[in-house]
Amino acid sequence: MEDSTKTLLEVNHLSFRYESELVLDDINMNINQGDFVGLVGPNGSGKSTLVRVLLGLHKHYQGEVRWFGTPVRQFHQWPKIGYVSQKANRFNAGFPVTVYEVVAMGLYGKKGLLRFLNRKDKQRIHEALEQVDMLGYKKKNMGRLSGGQQQRVFIARALVSDPEVLILDEPTVGVDAASAQAFYERLSHWNREKGITLILVTHDVGAMTKYVTKVACLNQQLHFHGTTREFEESDLAGAYGHDVHIIHHEHDHHAGGA
Amino acid sequence: MIFLEFDFLRYALIIGLMIGVVAPVAGVFVVVRKTPMIADAMSHTALTGIAFHLWLASYLVWLSEWNPLYTGILFTFIVSFLIEYLRRRFQAFQELSIPVVMASAIGLGVVFISLADGFNNDLFNYLFGSILTVNAADAVVIGIISAVSLLLFLLFYKELLFLAFDEEQAAVNGIPVQRVNLLFAGITAVIVASSISILGVLLVSALITLPAAAALRVASTFKSMFLYAVVFGETAVLAGFFASYYYDLSSGGTIAVVSFLIWTIIVLAEKVAGQRRQRPWKEAKWTDKANQ
Repeated sequence: MEDSTKTLLEVNHLSFRYESELVLDDINMNINQGDFVGLVGPNGSGKSTLVRVLLGLHKHYQGEVRWFGTPVRQFHQWPKIGYVSQKANRFNAGFPVTVYEVVAMGLYGKKGLLRFLNRKDKQRIHEALEQVDMLGYKKKNMGRLSGGQQQRVFIARALVSDPEVLILDEPTVGVDAASAQAFYERLSHWNREKGITLILVTHDVGAMTKYVTKVACLNQQLHFHGTTREFEESDLAGAYGHDVHIIHHEHDHHAGGA
Repeated sequence: MIFLEFDFLRYALIIGLMIGVVAPVAGVFVVVRKTPMIADAMSHTALTGIAFHLWLASYLVWLSEWNPLYTGILFTFIVSFLIEYLRRRFQAFQELSIPVVMASAIGLGVVFISLADGFNNDLFNYLFGSILTVNAADAVVIGIISAVSLLLFLLFYKELLFLAFDEEQAAVNGIPVQRVNLLFAGITAVIVASSISILGVLLVSALITLPAAAALRVASTFKSMFLYAVVFGETAVLAGFFASYYYDLSSGGTIAVVSFLIWTIIVLAEKVAGQRRQRPWKEAKWTDKANQ
């Protein structure tokens, strides 16, 4: 574990078309063990598409994507990668399922077919719930939690399989600024103390740069990929920060007016 | 229990009780996957198979020894894979796969019926179900189907739950989505076709969807939803059985009506109780663990 430059993810000349529209154009990036990467870009810049390609959900891409050295099409160790989707809490609220049952799902892929959860797995589910301060809610019905609480349960589900990488797509949408900050603090803590590699997809540049160690700016092409310090010194910070802030305020305004 | 002296009634009761378990269990998944029409599509496909069998049997005499239901089971089994294929192939309009298959199957079925010289008494029984037509062999076949189905539901419980809850996330976590979907479609097809003997083609979906829909209202955990669905399903089956024996009412019809009544009572009770689906709890805060 001393080798801090171990590359977890390699992306080489990745392009992706949706129908005939070019969504991702010649993306090149590496993510190393222990990185806390902020993947930023305005709405519609292809952030979620990139994440979906990385997760093997879009298979018709050009170029090369490797996880732990294995091309994504042949990659099978998915439990090493935790993922919290942007639309995770748009699930059917009437689904009769408890917080505990949802977090348990995070272990199903790792267990494999025809295997059941044992006592150690159950212990692990408790730990994951503890990590997101939701242990007290384990018997509650998922549909009756607030959006922020559901989000945390989904993060626990991603953490429960002890992933080496955690990918979070817009986790702070609809979360107030103070909660978002506390959330970033917690991510930073996991990154530093547990060595978990984090990829945070967001359009909220301002709040995030305080915590991430690397920034990748995406708008169809990758406009910047480097350390946070380099990012802040570049003129892109202004451009992206500005662009993004307008969008952010529009969201606030919309929410306030509704 | 005088009626249990009659063999066919004993078999009918045994089959009914077995179907009363497996149909609602399959129904739980059908309902939470939001594909309630699939039971109807499959049962109508079974009718196509039955009509095909009756038509073929008019040429091949040896076929009349077989229960046409088995040909129905074969047809639903094949069609379940077709529905899954269409669902995958046309993802943007995957909800169309069921009506497309259902309409085509009914069309083909009606063609077979006309080829087999129109509607006869046999077909009428299959449409509405009749407990008078079952025998020991049916009880054995349906018993085996029920046992195998329950075992498969148990063995693939965690995959089926994850897929129903969030198919995309299940794929990311390495669950073999396509294979599990096919397995589920196959099991459901066989259960649907087996239920036709007592429920009839038109009413199979009642015992699949209604008990599960009622269970959805009262269950707080996913596991408990199965328990409720089976209790509601068996209540309906027993009511149907006795109504059929003592009052000469249709078993399938009574099962559907009782299932509907259970669902109605629960929805009304919920209204009266009012507060069941409460507001969210107040937001919990992230504790300041990072600074410890």
